[in-house]
Amino acid sequence: MIYTKKSPWVLIIGVIMAGYAFLVQQGVLTGLMKMLHTSGHAGEMVTMGYIFGVIGIVVGLWQLVATPKEGSLDYYLSTVGGALLVLLCVFIVKYGAEPVFKLWGKASDAAIGWNFQTTLGLNYILLGIIVGMIVVNVFKIPAWAENGVRLSRLGLKSGVILLGALYSAAELRNLGGLSVVLIGFFVLGSVGMVLWLGRLRNIPNSMGGVLSAGMGVCGVSAAVASAPVVQAKSTEIAYTIGTILLWGVLMMFIFPPVGRALGMGYIQFGAWAGTGILNSAQVAAAALIYQPTGIETLKVAEIFNITRILFLPIIVIWLAVWYVQREAGAQKVNVGRVIFEKFPVFVLGFLLLFALSTTGIFAPAQHYKGKYFDNAIKESKLLTSEETSLLQSELGKVQREDQKAALERLIQNRKAMSIDHDTVLRGLANAKVLSKDANHVLKKAHSAVYHTAKRVKWFRTLIVWFFAFGLTGLGMQITFSSIKQAGGQPLFIGTVVGLTKAVGALIVIMLFVRETI
Amino acid sequence: MAEKLKYDRGTLLSIFKTDRAEDFAALVVALAIVVLVVLFVPR
Repeated sequence: MIYTKKSPWVLIIGVIMAGYAFLVQQGVLTGLMKMLHTSGHAGEMVTMGYIFGVIGIVVGLWQLVATPKEGSLDYYLSTVGGALLVLLCVFIVKYGAEPVFKLWGKASDAAIGWNFQTTLGLNYILLGIIVGMIVVNVFKIPAWAENGVRLSRLGLKSGVILLGALYSAAELRNLGGLSVVLIGFFVLGSVGMVLWLGRLRNIPNSMGGVLSAGMGVCGVSAAVASAPVVQAKSTEIAYTIGTILLWGVLMMFIFPPVGRALGMGYIQFGAWAGTGILNSAQVAAAALIYQPTGIETLKVAEIFNITRILFLPIIVIWLAVWYVQREAGAQKVNVGRVIFEKFPVFVLGFLLLFALSTTGIFAPAQHYKGKYFDNAIKESKLLTSEETSLLQSELGKVQREDQKAALERLIQNRKAMSIDHDTVLRGLANAKVLSKDANHVLKKAHSAVYHTAKRVKWFRTLIVWFFAFGLTGLGMQITFSSIKQAGGQPLFIGTVVGLTKAVGALIVIMLFVRETI
Repeated sequence: MAEKLKYDRGTLLSIFKTDRAEDFAALVVALAIVVLVVLFVPR
Protein backbone atom coordinates (compact mmCIF):
# COMPACT_ATOMS: atom_id res chain seq x y z
CA MET A 1 0.00 0.00 0.00
CA ILE A 2 1.36 3.44 -0.98
CA TYR A 3 0.69 6.06 1.70
CA THR A 4 2.13 9.16 0.05
CA LYS A 5 -0.57 11.19 -1.69
CA LYS A 6 1.11 13.63 -4.02
CA SER A 7 0.04 17.17 -3.20
CA PRO A 8 1.70 20.60 -3.28
CA TRP A 9 0.22 21.41 0.15
CA VAL A 10 3.08 19.94 2.19
CA LEU A 11 5.47 22.23 0.34
CA ILE A 12 3.08 25.20 0.63
CA ILE A 13 2.69 24.78 4.41
CA GLY A 14 6.48 24.50 4.73
CA VAL A 15 6.92 27.76 2.79
CA ILE A 16 4.23 29.49 4.90
CA MET A 17 5.91 28.47 8.17
CA ALA A 18 9.44 29.33 7.10
CA GLY A 19 8.15 32.60 5.58
CA TYR A 20 6.37 33.48 8.81
CA ALA A 21 9.55 32.82 10.81
CA PHE A 22 11.50 35.02 8.37
CA LEU A 23 8.99 37.89 8.68
CA VAL A 24 9.12 37.68 12.49
CA GLN A 25 12.92 37.61 12.41
CA GLN A 26 13.06 40.67 10.14
CA GLY A 27 10.72 42.60 12.44
CA VAL A 28 8.00 42.99 9.79
CA LEU A 29 5.32 41.70 12.19
CA THR A 30 6.52 43.58 15.26
CA GLY A 31 3.54 45.98 15.31
CA LEU A 32 1.00 43.17 15.04
CA MET A 33 2.80 41.11 17.69
CA LYS A 34 2.86 44.06 20.09
CA MET A 35 -0.86 44.55 19.60
CA LEU A 36 -1.48 40.85 20.32
CA HIS A 37 1.05 40.80 23.21
CA THR A 38 2.94 37.93 21.58
CA SER A 39 6.32 39.68 21.31
CA GLY A 40 7.65 37.50 24.12
CA HIS A 41 7.20 34.44 21.89
CA ALA A 42 9.18 35.87 18.96
CA GLY A 43 12.16 33.56 19.51
CA GLU A 44 9.88 30.54 19.73
CA MET A 45 8.04 31.54 16.56
CA VAL A 46 11.31 31.89 14.63
CA THR A 47 12.80 28.60 15.91
CA MET A 48 9.67 26.51 15.45
CA GLY A 49 8.78 28.22 12.16
CA TYR A 50 12.16 27.48 10.61
CA ILE A 51 12.35 23.90 11.90
CA PHE A 52 8.86 22.92 10.69
CA GLY A 53 9.16 25.07 7.56
CA VAL A 54 12.40 23.47 6.39
CA ILE A 55 11.03 19.97 7.07
CA GLY A 56 7.92 20.84 5.06
CA ILE A 57 9.90 22.27 2.13
CA VAL A 58 12.32 19.33 1.93
CA VAL A 59 9.68 16.60 2.32
CA GLY A 60 7.18 18.48 0.13
CA LEU A 61 9.70 18.76 -2.71
CA TRP A 62 10.70 15.11 -2.29
CA GLN A 63 7.09 13.96 -2.47
CA LEU A 64 6.46 16.01 -5.61
CA VAL A 65 9.57 14.85 -7.42
CA ALA A 66 10.11 11.24 -6.32
CA THR A 67 7.94 8.26 -7.14
CA PRO A 68 6.90 6.67 -3.86
CA LYS A 69 7.57 2.96 -3.39
CA GLU A 70 5.81 0.76 -0.88
CA GLY A 71 7.79 0.51 2.36
CA SER A 72 8.75 2.19 5.59
CA LEU A 73 10.21 5.31 3.97
CA ASP A 74 6.92 5.98 2.19
CA TYR A 75 4.94 5.14 5.35
CA TYR A 76 6.78 7.44 7.74
CA LEU A 77 7.43 10.31 5.31
CA SER A 78 3.73 10.38 4.44
CA THR A 79 2.99 11.38 8.06
CA VAL A 80 4.81 14.69 7.63
CA GLY A 81 1.91 16.30 5.72
CA GLY A 82 -0.64 15.61 8.45
CA ALA A 83 1.77 16.59 11.21
CA LEU A 84 2.43 19.90 9.45
CA LEU A 85 -1.29 20.53 9.00
CA VAL A 86 -1.79 20.04 12.75
CA LEU A 87 1.21 22.25 13.53
CA LEU A 88 -0.10 24.98 11.22
CA CYS A 89 -3.37 24.90 13.18
CA VAL A 90 -1.37 25.14 16.42
CA PHE A 91 0.51 28.17 15.06
CA ILE A 92 -2.77 29.87 14.18
CA VAL A 93 -4.35 29.03 17.55
CA LYS A 94 -1.35 29.81 19.73
CA TYR A 95 -0.17 33.02 18.09
CA GLY A 96 -3.44 34.20 16.57
CA ALA A 97 -6.67 32.91 18.10
CA GLU A 98 -5.65 32.78 21.77
CA PRO A 99 -4.12 36.31 21.85
CA VAL A 100 -7.18 37.69 20.02
CA PHE A 101 -9.53 36.01 22.50
CA LYS A 102 -7.43 37.42 25.34
CA LEU A 103 -7.86 40.93 23.94
CA TRP A 104 -11.60 40.40 23.49
CA GLY A 105 -11.80 39.00 27.02
CA LYS A 106 -10.13 42.09 28.46
CA ALA A 107 -12.45 44.31 26.41
CA SER A 108 -15.51 42.46 27.71
CA ASP A 109 -14.09 42.73 31.25
CA ALA A 110 -13.83 46.51 30.86
CA ALA A 111 -17.28 46.78 29.28
CA ILE A 112 -19.42 44.42 31.34
CA GLY A 113 -17.07 43.31 34.13
CA TRP A 114 -16.80 39.74 32.84
CA ASN A 115 -13.72 38.30 31.14
CA PHE A 116 -15.24 35.48 29.12
CA GLN A 117 -11.84 34.31 27.87
CA THR A 118 -10.43 33.44 31.30
CA THR A 119 -13.78 32.31 32.67
CA LEU A 120 -14.42 29.86 29.85
CA GLY A 121 -10.78 28.83 29.74
CA LEU A 122 -10.44 29.67 26.05
CA ASN A 123 -6.75 28.89 25.94
CA TYR A 124 -4.69 27.21 23.23
CA ILE A 125 -5.66 23.73 24.42
CA LEU A 126 -9.41 24.17 24.22
CA LEU A 127 -9.17 26.27 21.06
CA GLY A 128 -6.87 23.67 19.47
CA ILE A 129 -9.42 20.91 20.07
CA ILE A 130 -12.21 23.11 18.70
CA VAL A 131 -10.17 24.01 15.59
CA GLY A 132 -9.37 20.32 15.05
CA MET A 133 -13.05 19.43 15.33
CA ILE A 134 -13.99 22.18 12.87
CA VAL A 135 -11.37 20.97 10.39
CA VAL A 136 -12.58 17.36 10.46
CA ASN A 137 -16.30 18.07 10.61
CA VAL A 138 -16.60 21.05 8.26
CA PHE A 139 -13.75 20.64 5.79
CA LYS A 140 -12.71 16.96 6.19
CA ILE A 141 -9.08 15.90 6.55
CA PRO A 142 -7.42 15.96 3.13
CA ALA A 143 -6.07 12.61 1.89
CA TRP A 144 -2.43 13.79 1.99
CA ALA A 145 -2.78 14.59 5.73
CA GLU A 146 -4.77 11.59 6.97
CA ASN A 147 -1.79 9.41 7.90
CA GLY A 148 -0.02 12.16 9.85
CA VAL A 149 -3.02 13.00 12.03
CA ARG A 150 -2.48 9.57 13.58
CA LEU A 151 0.69 10.95 15.22
CA SER A 152 -1.32 12.95 17.77
CA ARG A 153 -1.21 10.29 20.50
CA LEU A 154 2.55 10.01 20.10
CA GLY A 155 2.77 13.76 20.68
CA LEU A 156 0.61 13.55 23.81
CA LYS A 157 2.61 10.68 25.26
CA SER A 158 5.89 12.49 24.63
CA GLY A 159 4.42 15.54 26.36
CA VAL A 160 3.37 13.52 29.41
CA ILE A 161 6.86 11.99 29.70
CA LEU A 162 8.46 15.44 29.53
CA LEU A 163 6.08 16.70 32.25
CA GLY A 164 8.12 14.65 34.71
CA ALA A 165 11.02 17.08 34.23
CA LEU A 166 9.02 19.92 35.79
CA TYR A 167 8.88 18.51 39.30
CA SER A 168 11.58 18.82 41.93
CA ALA A 169 12.28 17.30 45.33
CA ALA A 170 11.89 20.80 46.78
CA GLU A 171 8.30 20.89 45.58
CA LEU A 172 7.63 17.51 47.15
CA ARG A 173 8.96 18.75 50.49
CA ASN A 174 6.61 21.73 50.27
CA LEU A 175 3.57 19.55 49.86
CA GLY A 176 3.10 18.53 53.47
CA GLY A 177 1.33 15.54 54.93
CA LEU A 178 -2.13 17.09 54.98
CA SER A 179 -2.35 17.66 51.24
CA VAL A 180 -1.12 14.12 50.52
CA VAL A 181 -3.68 12.54 52.87
CA LEU A 182 -6.57 14.76 51.80
CA ILE A 183 -5.86 14.60 48.09
CA GLY A 184 -5.10 10.88 48.26
CA PHE A 185 -8.47 10.19 49.85
CA PHE A 186 -10.44 12.30 47.39
CA VAL A 187 -8.51 11.31 44.26
CA LEU A 188 -8.78 7.60 44.97
CA GLY A 189 -12.37 8.03 46.17
CA SER A 190 -13.42 9.90 43.02
CA VAL A 191 -11.79 7.36 40.72
CA GLY A 192 -13.40 4.48 42.58
CA MET A 193 -16.79 6.18 42.55
CA VAL A 194 -16.72 6.88 38.81
CA LEU A 195 -15.73 3.26 38.08
CA TRP A 196 -18.52 2.00 40.37
CA LEU A 197 -21.14 4.31 38.84
CA GLY A 198 -19.91 3.43 35.37
CA ARG A 199 -20.53 -0.25 36.06
CA LEU A 200 -24.01 0.52 37.44
CA ARG A 201 -24.88 2.64 34.40
CA ASN A 202 -23.37 0.18 31.94
CA ILE A 203 -20.99 2.57 30.21
CA PRO A 204 -18.00 1.10 28.33
CA ASN A 205 -14.96 0.37 30.48
CA SER A 206 -12.85 2.67 28.33
CA MET A 207 -15.28 5.56 28.97
CA GLY A 208 -15.42 4.87 32.72
CA GLY A 209 -11.64 4.61 32.93
CA VAL A 210 -10.82 7.86 31.19
CA LEU A 211 -13.62 9.73 33.01
CA SER A 212 -12.43 8.45 36.38
CA ALA A 213 -8.89 9.76 35.82
CA GLY A 214 -10.20 13.13 34.60
CA MET A 215 -12.61 13.50 37.53
CA GLY A 216 -10.14 12.22 40.10
CA VAL A 217 -6.86 13.85 39.15
CA CYS A 218 -6.66 17.06 37.17
CA GLY A 219 -8.62 17.11 33.97
CA VAL A 220 -7.09 17.14 30.53
CA SER A 221 -3.61 15.80 31.31
CA ALA A 222 -5.02 12.96 33.40
CA ALA A 223 -7.60 12.05 30.79
CA VAL A 224 -4.94 12.03 28.12
CA ALA A 225 -2.45 10.03 30.20
CA SER A 226 -5.00 7.37 31.06
CA ALA A 227 -6.66 7.16 27.63
CA PRO A 228 -4.18 4.70 26.08
CA VAL A 229 -4.29 2.47 29.16
CA VAL A 230 -8.03 1.94 28.84
CA GLN A 231 -7.99 2.23 25.03
CA ALA A 232 -10.36 5.20 25.12
CA LYS A 233 -11.83 6.54 21.90
CA SER A 234 -11.46 10.18 20.87
CA THR A 235 -15.14 10.79 21.60
CA GLU A 236 -14.74 9.45 25.13
CA ILE A 237 -11.78 11.75 25.77
CA ALA A 238 -13.80 14.64 24.34
CA TYR A 239 -16.74 13.86 26.65
CA THR A 240 -14.42 13.70 29.64
CA ILE A 241 -12.80 17.03 28.80
CA GLY A 242 -16.23 18.60 28.23
CA THR A 243 -17.52 17.33 31.59
CA ILE A 244 -14.42 18.56 33.44
CA LEU A 245 -14.47 22.01 31.85
CA LEU A 246 -18.19 22.42 32.50
CA TRP A 247 -17.74 21.51 36.16
CA GLY A 248 -14.56 23.55 36.50
CA VAL A 249 -16.28 26.70 35.25
CA LEU A 250 -19.37 26.16 37.42
CA MET A 251 -17.32 25.54 40.57
CA MET A 252 -15.12 28.54 39.92
CA PHE A 253 -18.21 30.70 40.34
CA ILE A 254 -19.81 28.73 43.17
CA PHE A 255 -16.80 28.14 45.46
CA PRO A 256 -15.86 31.77 46.38
CA PRO A 257 -19.34 32.90 47.56
CA VAL A 258 -19.79 29.63 49.50
CA GLY A 259 -16.37 30.12 51.11
CA ARG A 260 -17.24 33.68 52.13
CA ALA A 261 -20.64 32.61 53.48
CA LEU A 262 -18.93 29.99 55.66
CA GLY A 263 -16.21 32.40 56.76
CA MET A 264 -13.42 30.12 55.52
CA GLY A 265 -9.82 31.20 56.08
CA TYR A 266 -7.30 31.41 53.26
CA ILE A 267 -5.77 28.02 53.98
CA GLN A 268 -9.15 26.34 54.28
CA PHE A 269 -10.40 27.82 51.04
CA GLY A 270 -7.15 27.08 49.18
CA ALA A 271 -7.28 23.47 50.35
CA TRP A 272 -10.93 23.17 49.35
CA ALA A 273 -10.42 24.69 45.89
CA GLY A 274 -7.31 22.58 45.24
CA THR A 275 -9.20 19.42 46.21
CA GLY A 276 -12.73 20.03 44.96
CA ILE A 277 -12.33 21.91 41.67
CA LEU A 278 -11.50 19.60 38.80
CA ASN A 279 -9.36 21.71 36.49
CA SER A 280 -6.05 23.42 37.33
CA ALA A 281 -6.85 26.73 35.62
CA GLN A 282 -10.12 27.12 37.49
CA VAL A 283 -8.44 26.20 40.80
CA ALA A 284 -6.14 29.20 40.42
CA ALA A 285 -8.99 31.42 39.24
CA ALA A 286 -11.22 30.53 42.22
CA ALA A 287 -8.35 31.15 44.65
CA LEU A 288 -7.66 34.58 43.17
CA ILE A 289 -11.37 35.46 43.12
CA TYR A 290 -11.53 34.54 46.81
CA GLN A 291 -8.45 36.53 47.78
CA PRO A 292 -7.70 39.20 45.17
CA THR A 293 -5.51 41.19 47.58
CA GLY A 294 -2.88 38.53 48.27
CA ILE A 295 -1.52 35.20 47.12
CA GLU A 296 -1.78 33.10 50.29
CA THR A 297 -4.91 31.27 49.09
CA LEU A 298 -3.44 30.71 45.65
CA LYS A 299 -0.27 29.20 47.10
CA VAL A 300 -2.19 26.71 49.23
CA ALA A 301 -4.48 25.83 46.33
CA GLU A 302 -1.48 25.24 44.06
CA ILE A 303 0.20 22.94 46.59
CA PHE A 304 -2.95 20.83 46.66
CA ASN A 305 -3.24 20.94 42.89
CA ILE A 306 0.34 19.72 42.41
CA THR A 307 -0.21 16.93 44.94
CA ARG A 308 -3.20 15.85 42.90
CA ILE A 309 -1.17 15.71 39.69
CA LEU A 310 1.47 13.57 41.42
CA PHE A 311 -1.18 10.91 41.94
CA LEU A 312 -1.44 10.47 38.18
CA PRO A 313 0.98 7.51 37.88
CA ILE A 314 -0.82 5.66 40.68
CA ILE A 315 -4.15 6.14 38.94
CA VAL A 316 -2.74 5.00 35.61
CA ILE A 317 -1.38 1.82 37.22
CA TRP A 318 -4.74 1.21 38.90
CA LEU A 319 -6.63 1.73 35.64
CA ALA A 320 -4.19 -0.45 33.69
CA VAL A 321 -4.84 -3.39 36.02
CA TRP A 322 -8.58 -2.65 36.35
CA TYR A 323 -9.12 -2.41 32.62
CA VAL A 324 -7.45 -5.66 31.71
CA GLN A 325 -9.27 -7.49 34.51
CA ARG A 326 -12.61 -6.11 33.36
CA GLU A 327 -11.94 -6.78 29.70
CA ALA A 328 -10.86 -10.31 30.46
CA GLY A 329 -14.35 -11.02 31.85
CA ALA A 330 -14.66 -13.74 34.46
CA GLN A 331 -11.24 -15.21 33.68
CA LYS A 332 -8.65 -14.86 36.39
CA VAL A 333 -5.96 -12.42 35.45
CA ASN A 334 -2.34 -12.62 36.51
CA VAL A 335 -1.86 -9.07 37.74
CA GLY A 336 1.93 -9.25 37.61
CA ARG A 337 1.81 -10.38 34.02
CA VAL A 338 -0.77 -7.73 33.20
CA ILE A 339 1.46 -5.02 34.60
CA PHE A 340 4.44 -6.39 32.72
CA GLU A 341 2.61 -6.73 29.41
CA LYS A 342 0.22 -3.81 29.52
CA PHE A 343 1.86 -1.26 31.75
CA PRO A 344 2.26 1.93 29.74
CA VAL A 345 5.98 2.50 29.29
CA PHE A 346 5.41 6.23 28.86
CA VAL A 347 4.41 6.43 32.56
CA LEU A 348 7.79 4.92 33.42
CA GLY A 349 9.26 7.63 31.23
CA PHE A 350 7.42 10.25 33.29
CA LEU A 351 8.84 8.72 36.48
CA LEU A 352 12.30 8.53 34.95
CA LEU A 353 12.27 12.24 34.11
CA PHE A 354 10.94 13.07 37.56
CA ALA A 355 13.81 11.06 39.07
CA LEU A 356 16.28 12.91 36.84
CA SER A 357 14.70 16.21 37.85
CA THR A 358 15.23 15.50 41.54
CA THR A 359 18.98 15.14 40.90
CA GLY A 360 19.11 18.82 39.93
CA ILE A 361 20.22 18.11 36.37
CA PHE A 362 17.58 20.42 34.91
CA ALA A 363 17.44 23.16 37.54
CA PRO A 364 18.79 24.00 41.01
CA ALA A 365 17.19 21.61 43.48
CA GLN A 366 15.18 24.29 45.29
CA HIS A 367 13.40 25.48 42.13
CA TYR A 368 9.66 25.88 42.23
CA LYS A 369 7.85 25.74 38.91
CA GLY A 370 11.09 26.46 37.10
CA LYS A 371 12.06 29.49 39.17
CA TYR A 372 14.55 29.56 41.99
CA PHE A 373 15.50 32.10 44.66
CA ASP A 374 19.01 33.46 44.77
CA ASN A 375 19.66 36.90 46.20
CA ALA A 376 23.41 36.94 45.63
CA ILE A 377 22.90 39.54 42.91
CA LYS A 378 25.03 42.21 41.25
CA GLU A 379 25.03 45.83 42.51
CA SER A 380 23.22 46.89 39.34
CA LYS A 381 20.28 44.64 40.23
CA LEU A 382 19.76 46.23 43.66
CA LEU A 383 17.05 48.87 44.11
CA THR A 384 18.30 52.42 43.47
CA SER A 385 18.13 55.20 46.07
CA GLU A 386 15.27 56.81 44.08
CA GLU A 387 13.32 53.56 44.23
CA THR A 388 13.84 53.05 47.95
CA SER A 389 12.86 56.71 48.55
CA LEU A 390 9.62 56.11 46.65
CA LEU A 391 8.87 53.05 48.78
CA GLN A 392 9.75 55.00 51.94
CA SER A 393 7.30 57.75 51.00
CA GLU A 394 4.47 55.21 50.66
CA LEU A 395 5.22 53.23 53.81
CA GLY A 396 2.31 54.92 55.59
CA LYS A 397 -0.20 53.37 53.17
CA VAL A 398 0.56 49.85 54.37
CA GLN A 399 -1.78 48.65 57.12
CA ARG A 400 -0.72 45.02 57.65
CA GLU A 401 2.15 44.80 60.14
CA ASP A 402 3.94 41.90 58.38
CA GLN A 403 3.81 43.72 55.04
CA LYS A 404 5.02 46.94 56.63
CA ALA A 405 7.98 45.17 58.26
CA ALA A 406 8.81 43.44 54.97
CA LEU A 407 8.76 46.74 53.10
CA GLU A 408 11.05 48.36 55.68
CA ARG A 409 13.44 45.41 55.34
CA LEU A 410 13.43 45.79 51.57
CA ILE A 411 14.18 49.52 51.84
CA GLN A 412 17.04 48.77 54.21
CA ASN A 413 18.66 45.96 52.15
CA ARG A 414 17.59 47.05 48.64
CA LYS A 415 16.70 43.43 47.81
CA ALA A 416 14.48 40.60 49.08
CA MET A 417 16.33 38.70 51.80
CA SER A 418 14.54 35.33 51.75
CA ILE A 419 11.80 33.38 50.03
CA ASP A 420 9.36 34.27 52.83
CA HIS A 421 10.34 37.92 52.66
CA ASP A 422 9.73 37.95 48.92
CA THR A 423 6.37 36.18 49.38
CA VAL A 424 5.08 38.88 51.73
CA LEU A 425 6.25 41.57 49.30
CA ARG A 426 4.45 39.85 46.43
CA GLY A 427 1.30 39.76 48.53
CA LEU A 428 1.67 43.50 49.11
CA ALA A 429 2.13 44.15 45.38
CA ASN A 430 -0.89 41.99 44.59
CA ALA A 431 -3.00 43.92 47.12
CA LYS A 432 -2.40 47.11 45.08
CA VAL A 433 -2.15 49.21 48.22
CA LEU A 434 0.79 51.19 46.87
CA SER A 435 0.97 53.38 43.76
CA LYS A 436 1.59 51.87 40.33
CA ASP A 437 5.22 53.06 40.36
CA ALA A 438 5.85 51.59 43.81
CA ASN A 439 4.33 48.28 42.75
CA HIS A 440 6.63 48.34 39.74
CA VAL A 441 9.59 48.66 42.13
CA LEU A 442 8.32 45.67 44.14
CA LYS A 443 8.07 43.62 40.95
CA LYS A 444 11.60 44.63 40.03
CA ALA A 445 12.83 43.51 43.46
CA HIS A 446 11.11 40.15 42.93
CA SER A 447 12.52 39.67 39.43
CA ALA A 448 16.02 40.47 40.69
CA VAL A 449 16.12 37.55 43.14
CA TYR A 450 14.07 34.99 41.21
CA HIS A 451 15.82 33.35 38.30
CA THR A 452 14.34 31.19 35.61
CA ALA A 453 15.84 27.75 35.21
CA LYS A 454 16.53 27.83 31.47
CA ARG A 455 16.23 24.10 30.92
CA VAL A 456 12.89 23.95 32.71
CA LYS A 457 11.74 26.90 30.63
CA TRP A 458 12.65 25.00 27.46
CA PHE A 459 10.88 21.89 28.69
CA ARG A 460 7.77 23.94 29.45
CA THR A 461 7.81 25.44 25.95
CA LEU A 462 8.25 22.03 24.33
CA ILE A 463 5.56 20.43 26.50
CA VAL A 464 3.15 23.16 25.41
CA TRP A 465 3.92 22.29 21.80
CA PHE A 466 3.53 18.56 22.30
CA PHE A 467 0.19 19.01 24.05
CA ALA A 468 -1.02 21.56 21.52
CA PHE A 469 -0.02 19.23 18.68
CA GLY A 470 -1.55 16.16 20.31
CA LEU A 471 -4.81 17.81 21.33
CA THR A 472 -5.36 19.58 18.02
CA GLY A 473 -4.73 16.26 16.27
CA LEU A 474 -7.08 14.63 18.75
CA GLY A 475 -9.74 17.19 17.80
CA MET A 476 -9.26 16.11 14.18
CA GLN A 477 -10.29 12.58 15.18
CA ILE A 478 -13.56 13.70 16.79
CA THR A 479 -16.57 13.75 14.51
CA PHE A 480 -19.97 15.02 15.62
CA SER A 481 -21.64 11.82 14.49
CA SER A 482 -19.39 9.77 16.78
CA ILE A 483 -20.03 12.13 19.73
CA LYS A 484 -23.77 11.61 19.34
CA GLN A 485 -23.24 7.88 19.74
CA ALA A 486 -21.53 8.35 23.13
CA GLY A 487 -24.75 9.40 24.96
CA GLY A 488 -25.19 11.57 28.07
CA GLN A 489 -23.93 9.11 30.69
CA PRO A 490 -20.54 10.80 31.25
CA LEU A 491 -22.22 14.07 32.18
CA PHE A 492 -24.53 12.33 34.66
CA ILE A 493 -21.69 10.44 36.33
CA GLY A 494 -19.48 13.53 36.29
CA THR A 495 -22.22 15.56 37.98
CA VAL A 496 -22.75 13.02 40.77
CA VAL A 497 -19.02 12.55 41.44
CA GLY A 498 -18.15 16.26 41.07
CA LEU A 499 -20.84 17.27 43.59
CA THR A 500 -19.90 14.51 46.03
CA LYS A 501 -16.24 15.47 45.87
CA ALA A 502 -16.90 19.19 46.37
CA VAL A 503 -19.29 18.69 49.30
CA GLY A 504 -17.20 15.91 50.88
CA ALA A 505 -14.01 17.98 50.67
CA LEU A 506 -15.82 20.96 52.18
CA ILE A 507 -17.02 18.94 55.18
CA VAL A 508 -13.62 17.34 55.82
CA ILE A 509 -11.77 20.65 55.52
CA MET A 510 -14.19 22.51 57.78
CA LEU A 511 -13.84 19.75 60.37
CA PHE A 512 -10.12 19.10 60.28
CA VAL A 513 -8.21 21.96 58.65
CA ARG A 514 -7.24 24.90 60.81
CA GLU A 515 -5.66 28.12 59.65
CA THR A 516 -2.20 26.93 60.56
CA ILE A 517 -0.92 23.75 59.00
CA MET B 1 -12.45 -4.31 8.63
CA ALA B 2 -12.80 -0.71 7.50
CA GLU B 3 -9.69 0.04 9.54
CA LYS B 4 -7.78 -2.63 7.64
CA LEU B 5 -8.91 -1.26 4.32
CA LYS B 6 -7.82 2.28 5.18
CA TYR B 7 -4.45 1.45 6.73
CA ASP B 8 -2.56 -1.80 6.41
CA ARG B 9 -0.12 -0.60 9.11
CA GLY B 10 -0.91 0.76 12.56
CA THR B 11 -4.46 1.42 13.76
CA LEU B 12 -7.10 4.07 13.10
CA LEU B 13 -5.67 6.23 15.90
CA SER B 14 -1.96 5.55 15.62
CA ILE B 15 0.72 4.84 13.05
CA PHE B 16 2.09 2.17 15.41
CA LYS B 17 0.82 -1.39 15.55
CA THR B 18 0.68 -1.59 19.36
CA ASP B 19 0.44 0.82 22.29
CA ARG B 20 3.77 -0.43 23.57
CA ALA B 21 5.50 0.41 20.29
CA GLU B 22 3.99 3.89 20.51
CA ASP B 23 5.12 4.18 24.16
CA PHE B 24 8.68 3.34 23.23
CA ALA B 25 8.60 5.78 20.34
CA ALA B 26 7.36 8.50 22.73
CA LEU B 27 10.10 7.58 25.19
CA VAL B 28 12.73 7.84 22.47
CA VAL B 29 11.36 11.23 21.38
CA ALA B 30 11.29 12.54 24.97
CA LEU B 31 14.77 11.25 25.81
CA ALA B 32 16.16 12.71 22.59
CA ILE B 33 14.74 16.08 23.63
CA VAL B 34 16.20 15.72 27.13
CA VAL B 35 19.65 15.02 25.67
CA LEU B 36 19.41 18.01 23.31
CA VAL B 37 18.23 20.34 26.09
CA VAL B 38 20.95 19.19 28.50
CA LEU B 39 23.62 19.51 25.81
CA PHE B 40 22.64 22.88 24.38
CA VAL B 41 20.79 24.80 27.12
CA PRO B 42 22.73 26.03 30.17
CA ARG B 43 21.20 25.13 33.53
